[in-house]
Amino acid sequence: MKLLLIEDDATTVDYVTRGLREEGHGVDHLANGREGLSQALTGEYDVMIVDRMLPELDGLSIVRAVRAAKVATPIIFLTAIGGVDDRIEGLNSGADDYLVKPFAFGELSARIAALARRPQAQSEQVVLEAADLKMDLITRKVTRAGQEIDLLPREFALLEFLLRRKGRVQTRTMLLEGVWDLNFDPQTNVVETHISRLRNKVDKPFERELIHTVRGAGYRIDG
Amino acid sequence: MLGRLNRAAIFASTPLRQALGLMGIVFAILLVTLGFAYVALRSSTEDAIRTDLKQQTAVFRVAANPETLSVIVSAEARASDPSERAIAFVLPDGRQVGNVRVLRENGQWVVARHLDYAPLSSQGYFTLTMPLAGGFLVIGESRAPIAELTSTFLAILIFSFVPSLLVSAAYGAWAGMRARKRVSALEDTLDELTEGRLEARVPDDTVKSARGDDLARIGARLNAMAETQEATVAALRQVSADIAHDLKTPMQRISVLLSELREQLPEDSAARATAERASEEAELAVGVFHSLLRIAQIEGGSPKSRFAPVDLGALATDITELYEVAAEEAGGALRLLRPEGAALRVQGDRGLLGQMLSNLIENAIRHGGPEPDITVELVCEDDRVRLSVRDRGPGVPEAERQLVLRRLYRLERSRTTPGNGLGLALVQAVAGLHDAELALGDNHPGLVVTVDFPAL
Repeated sequence: MKLLLIEDDATTVDYVTRGLREEGHGVDHLANGREGLSQALTGEYDVMIVDRMLPELDGLSIVRAVRAAKVATPIIFLTAIGGVDDRIEGLNSGADDYLVKPFAFGELSARIAALARRPQAQSEQVVLEAADLKMDLITRKVTRAGQEIDLLPREFALLEFLLRRKGRVQTRTMLLEGVWDLNFDPQTNVVETHISRLRNKVDKPFERELIHTVRGAGYRIDG
Repeated sequence: MLGRLNRAAIFASTPLRQALGLMGIVFAILLVTLGFAYVALRSSTEDAIRTDLKQQTAVFRVAANPETLSVIVSAEARASDPSERAIAFVLPDGRQVGNVRVLRENGQWVVARHLDYAPLSSQGYFTLTMPLAGGFLVIGESRAPIAELTSTFLAILIFSFVPSLLVSAAYGAWAGMRARKRVSALEDTLDELTEGRLEARVPDDTVKSARGDDLARIGARLNAMAETQEATVAALRQVSADIAHDLKTPMQRISVLLSELREQLPEDSAARATAERASEEAELAVGVFHSLLRIAQIEGGSPKSRFAPVDLGALATDITELYEVAAEEAGGALRLLRPEGAALRVQGDRGLLGQMLSNLIENAIRHGGPEPDITVELVCEDDRVRLSVRDRGPGVPEAERQLVLRRLYRLERSRTTPGNGLGLALVQAVAGLHDAELALGDNHPGLVVTVDFPAL
């Protein structure tokens, strides 16, 4: 993927670009708001990552200008503020996602992956599969190696969310937003508890582990 | 705004009250002046009538004997209308002549109608009685001129007062309407400012009144005040944003450097474990910082304009379901009690309300004893929706219930459990933003936290 990073803090830039390049993405970087905007309007990118506080032109204005120019590229907004209003203000300006500093690289990477594939509609799919795990969305039956697995409604929703995003890391906050529609940071490890319950049913009785923990990031189901 | 211009509001308006008050004063002055004039005029008229009566008796005094006098009286009586002038002579033998009859009552001569003559004056008489020629002569003048005087004065009072009362009441109502509209504009602006919309201003037509009157001046001052307030808040936001930025960026760097350091260290080494612990501590610091900023933002009047109806029942169902497993893992239980099918809607911010409930549940899981037994309950009562979270743990001593709502305050025995002492402070900030009442109580044993919302 080709990514644009508009960020003025050298350490963050170094960390983010190095990580993204290791994942095989091409990264263009600009440290100045005005130059960043002109690059955003002229270049072709899959996802843009824009910091909120920038010299010369702030991130909010960049996002607004980019959207006003009818550029639909997904944008992740980076901010050091992370208050109640900031989040909504950021999303209202036209950004697609929002990440509060300090963030783990895994979180950013997972969100970039989620945004880049967002338009893909999977609603026609009736059966979701991963290895020998099958989920029938009509009968709401889950089987693994032909063996039926009995899931509670929320466990079903959690598994469905992971299966629909097979191969991509889903962070705890992404799961909270996607499965529970909740937008905050719990202090306790509630998501882990749900995942471990799900694992007990989906993975434990079988040899191969399907739900993987990605250190410092989240969870992923492999195909 | 027009809804406010009802009748009661018009009567409550200052101009109309002033107009009516002024009319009251004018009426009182008028009453006093006219009253004095009336009393003076009346007494001089009465004096004139009495003098007249005395002069009339002179004619009768010339008669030496009762017969002559009765002839004179009879002649006078025939020439006079008894409703204007009454005259009667009681002869020594008790016979009477005259155009009225007189009766002796309590030592006084009282005038009564003589059937051969016209009726008496309806206003009564001034009478003069004098012993003459062995009998009694009674002459009376009608009080009609006095009654006329009274009605003339009443007419003057009414004709001078009623029109001016109507005119000033109409003016007062008109001025009241006008002022009311402008006062409403001021009130609306104040309401908006109170609710945190600091960009609200009094409209120009109220501020720029041609006469620059008191309301216009108040409006202008209000606008100036709002401008200062907005600038101050903006400056404060800028400062806190700057601090946030200045602190969070180094925090980001610390996290990055620590995770890089961790990757470079061999697995299962003591140094790696230290780096991991350092990462966790840095995350905790960020968490405290984040929560403090969030509380400050909520308390600083996070605009309510983004409020929408929130179904507390559905939200509580989602969140208790999320935490149910965590409570079970801790060896306890979490249950939700809610009325079936009842509307449990409040006006608010779903994200903040969710954070609030999750803080309360996390608190109960952490501090609700070794096997936390937690009940989340929703009750709908009249126009209130009451949310309560109860545990069966050690509870909070009464003396400390207000203290635990403070930022960073922690009970002595909780110092070893995880948590940053900001959970309840955030709950309080969110409750305050939603006009809900927060109360901590005793669950015998355990803590019960109640949040009482106005229902939608």
